[in-house]
Amino acid sequence: MEKTRWLLLIYRIPREPSRHRVAVWRKLKALGALYLQDGVAVLPEDAVTREQLEWLQVRIREAGGEATVWEASANTMSESRELVEAFRSSREQAYRAIVAGAERLRRKAEMGAGGGTLPEKLGKLEREFRAERKRDYFRSSLRKEAAAALKAARRAVRERGAAQSREARGGFAAGESLGEGGG
Amino acid sequence: MMWATRRGCHVDRTACVWLIRRFVDPGARFSFFGDASEAPEGSELFDVVGARLSHHGEDCSFETFLKEYDLKDPVLLEIAEIVHDADLMDEKYGRPESEGLDAVIRGMQLALPDDETLTRHTDALFDGLYAYVGRDVL
Repeated sequence: MEKTRWLLLIYRIPREPSRHRVAVWRKLKALGALYLQDGVAVLPEDAVTREQLEWLQVRIREAGGEATVWEASANTMSESRELVEAFRSSREQAYRAIVAGAERLRRKAEMGAGGGTLPEKLGKLEREFRAERKRDYFRSSLRKEAAAALKAARRAVRERGAAQSREARGGFAAGESLGEGGG
Repeated sequence: MMWATRRGCHVDRTACVWLIRRFVDPGARFSFFGDASEAPEGSELFDVVGARLSHHGEDCSFETFLKEYDLKDPVLLEIAEIVHDADLMDEKYGRPESEGLDAVIRGMQLALPDDETLTRHTDALFDGLYAYVGRDVL
């Protein structure tokens, strides 16, 4: 197993005003970083994480804090593996919620329930999935499951939409076009 | 004038290159370096930590350019939102175009040999985006 290279952001930021502290925490969370301890966040090293941490460092300094970015590798293989596992499991909860949400939408669509809001709700789940995938650095095993659940939900929602427009058209004379489905 | 930035351009830097060529300095020449010490002497650095034309506060470099050069074109302001969301991935403006832009430029990065070639291609991309956004705005 190749040794994983990590980036550490070590920082301290004034308590007030709290918006800077919160913005930094939010950004790290959005990147999928883990805290090793207070003020020490870790991410696997790649061009994107490096750049994002460098900008975050600038932001912290501009907010009157201190921040340094370090390249690191764990001292032992087992520590490195533990960290990789921690990254994987940190994504699993989100994937599980996506799977559950997608299955709920699929069932609703198959039963013909849920009103016209299903496509919108599905779109939101799909966006969440894309965000998770971006920060799923070590391919959590639930990624595929979430992708499959979304695909099934998408199919069910589309079929329901098609059935509804057939019903809506049912009352019209045959051959009448409602002008749907432009390119 | 000579402009210099880091190699491996993505959305923010390719957008800045386009902005410089079209709106700031038509005769611009560019140098892409691995380390800031390799930048040609007297060149203007951008999207580099500590430079005037770089990230400041919540702004990405493209947004900083608009402020520094007092560019008020409403189409550019909209493009800035798209570039911001693609660069900082914080959904500040909730622009759906940013995901597509991110994917296309990431792919171009893989498919094209260097930043000089990349930015020639992304110039056409941003010209298109400008025309598309301008359709609604102007």
